[in-house]
Amino acid sequence: MDFRLTDEQVARRKEIYKVCEELDKKKPKSWLGFESPFDNEEGWAFHRYCAKEFAKRGWLALSWPKEYGGTGTMMDKVLLAEARGYYDLPGSDIFGISMLAPTLIAAGSEELKKEFLPKIANAEIMFCELWSEPNAGSDLAALTASAIKKGDEFIVNGQKTWNTGAHYADWAFGVYKSDPNAKKHHNLTFILCDMKSKGITVKGIPYMNGAHVYNEVYLDDVHMPAKYVVGQENEGWAVVNVLAGFERSNIDMVMGLVRGVEDLVKFCNENKRDGKPLAHDPMIRNKIADLAASVEAVRTLAYRVADQQNRNEMGLMDAAAVKIFASELLEKFGQISTDILGPYGQVKQSKFAKLNGTAEYNYQACFVPIVSMGTNEIQRNIIAWYGLGLPRMK
Amino acid sequence: MDLRFTEQQEILKKSARDFLTKECPKAKVRELEKDPKGYDPALWQKMAELGWLGFNIPEDYEGMGYSFEDLNMHIEEVGKNILPGPYISTVVNTFAIVAEGTEEQKKEFLPKISNGQLILTLAWLEENGQFDASGITLKAAHKGNDFVLNGTKMFVDSAHVSNYMIVIARTKDGAGEDGITAFLVDSKSAGLKTEVIPTIAADHLCEVVFKDVAVSAKNVLGKVDKGWAILQMLVRKGSILKSAESLGGLQAVVDMTIAYSKERVQYDRPIGAFQALQHKMSDMWISMGTSKYLLYEAAWMESEGMPSAKEASMTKAYINEAYKLVSALGVKLHGGIGTSSDHDVPLYYRRAKAADTVYGSTDFHREMVAQQIGLK
Repeated sequence: MDFRLTDEQVARRKEIYKVCEELDKKKPKSWLGFESPFDNEEGWAFHRYCAKEFAKRGWLALSWPKEYGGTGTMMDKVLLAEARGYYDLPGSDIFGISMLAPTLIAAGSEELKKEFLPKIANAEIMFCELWSEPNAGSDLAALTASAIKKGDEFIVNGQKTWNTGAHYADWAFGVYKSDPNAKKHHNLTFILCDMKSKGITVKGIPYMNGAHVYNEVYLDDVHMPAKYVVGQENEGWAVVNVLAGFERSNIDMVMGLVRGVEDLVKFCNENKRDGKPLAHDPMIRNKIADLAASVEAVRTLAYRVADQQNRNEMGLMDAAAVKIFASELLEKFGQISTDILGPYGQVKQSKFAKLNGTAEYNYQACFVPIVSMGTNEIQRNIIAWYGLGLPRMK
Repeated sequence: MDLRFTEQQEILKKSARDFLTKECPKAKVRELEKDPKGYDPALWQKMAELGWLGFNIPEDYEGMGYSFEDLNMHIEEVGKNILPGPYISTVVNTFAIVAEGTEEQKKEFLPKISNGQLILTLAWLEENGQFDASGITLKAAHKGNDFVLNGTKMFVDSAHVSNYMIVIARTKDGAGEDGITAFLVDSKSAGLKTEVIPTIAADHLCEVVFKDVAVSAKNVLGKVDKGWAILQMLVRKGSILKSAESLGGLQAVVDMTIAYSKERVQYDRPIGAFQALQHKMSDMWISMGTSKYLLYEAAWMESEGMPSAKEASMTKAYINEAYKLVSALGVKLHGGIGTSSDHDVPLYYRRAKAADTVYGSTDFHREMVAQQIGLK
């Protein structure tokens, strides 16, 4: 085994960290974390600014095929995610960069690739996802929003929900029932659509902490050109599976935890209770050391996923393990850090807050990665069924 | 970056697996738990012939000269099977002689260890049960150029069948790290008495009482009063290798539990079809995955000679808990049969507890981590 980066990668990493360190200094005051791009105008503006900064260096197309403007390797992409995670920076559209782009590369037509990949790589357009519905969450195939073909268009009607960032996004990718008579899994079509299209209404759903992250999206006779279908008509389920199959190392979430532990150590060294630094409290030492060891464990596993990705091997089970473990570790981190702050653990970002209110923030925000992108319970099913070979639920 | 096993490591793993499956089935493991010696001398000889006892001994001293990382992978396989006896302790303790021994000591001890003629144990802990320097109270008084040892050591692995032991003793008044010396002591020395302590894994840990035990100055390992660093090195390497053994055991429990859940039918279906069990097995599998690469990173760093104290302590603290958690789930998911002494899962559950204090408990290693990550 060799955990070392090549000299070239070390140089790349240094360059990436330098850019991220500079961007970190330009963060708006209201910034709190991964929900912040969606919660207010200055958060979204910072997201777009970072995206442009990365785009002009070619960093949004890392690991893409050269003919579509690709630069760098999969490991370079991991290094960028690592630095972004450490500095808690946005700028990589999770829907456009992490989900749609690789799906288009794998399953999109040449026309779609040519139209959308450059715009994604240049950070010209940001995407959102129109998947879940009020009665189709984990069981996505139970969705009912309809797309009826009429000439060279689909007329789309229905309601989508939990649409992160739909209130700012330029475009959306969604999946709709296009053939009410066909069998399950052969009745869906995957379509891209301009969010400025007539008939789209976006309504916010406040997160538990009041932040505006998610939305409901109502579709009333929305005309979606058929040329924006990804994959085959009525075979959108296959595209959904392609998209879901891009295992993510989640190294950005893990590096956020690395930074979180560092900040907590610094805080405990600098702040006193009962005349002594918090760091002298054996209970606090034990808890933070436990966190640090768990973070290192999941960091190494995330690199295992990255290493597999880098040589085009499938690492779905390990990726699911990282997703579950890192998100639940964030939950534990939120609880431990709010506990350590005592009564200040409940204080929101303000002049009263310790740690800029991030402890209180994580205590609530942790559920976003836990329930999104396939809830952790669904991820556990994936490990059990596909990894451990246990019988699948009917 | 390449986080795959090398071909050499795959071969090492397979040969360990094949050998132990044949030579050390679970019936033998149970038999050795009750055996007064606690290990099988004939098996020990076969292991020596395969080079197992000389993996980490340089070729100049009749060893194999393998890397630490290769040794780590090998011990993971040993842990999967369970191998009773002082194998891991002998291998780990050998590092002290390799790193700190005089030429004379190396020539005297290393070929014998490699050839299976010398079991080397470590007499570290005492009745106070402490892992830190202040726990070392066994006194080694100067007598001319030589020393006289008085005191009691506890939890000494297989002391009763060992040939030599590394004794961590106090050569200067005080409770700090300075003034501690490591000695190579003949286990048959006059005034030295051993008694086996009944323990959870029946792994033959001993009390060793030293009454005026004379030790020659030539048996000092390293420098007088500077032995704590040697112990720290053993703790670091031992933490990694003991974790490798534990990870192997953890994997065995995961494999057994999944296999059983596919066979055992209740309510007309294999119990592995129930989500309540599936999610627990997924969690066991996640514990295994997170443990693996934490361990491999620490072993790789140690192998490359990088400072690895933080990673070694993180590994030991993390895998201690993972092994206990996973083996307990293994017992529970097997139901009634999992609680039977005839079943293999409890063999691992008991060893998970035994392993967790070897080379330092979870809390001890968390404190090491706390210091390493900069908590004042």
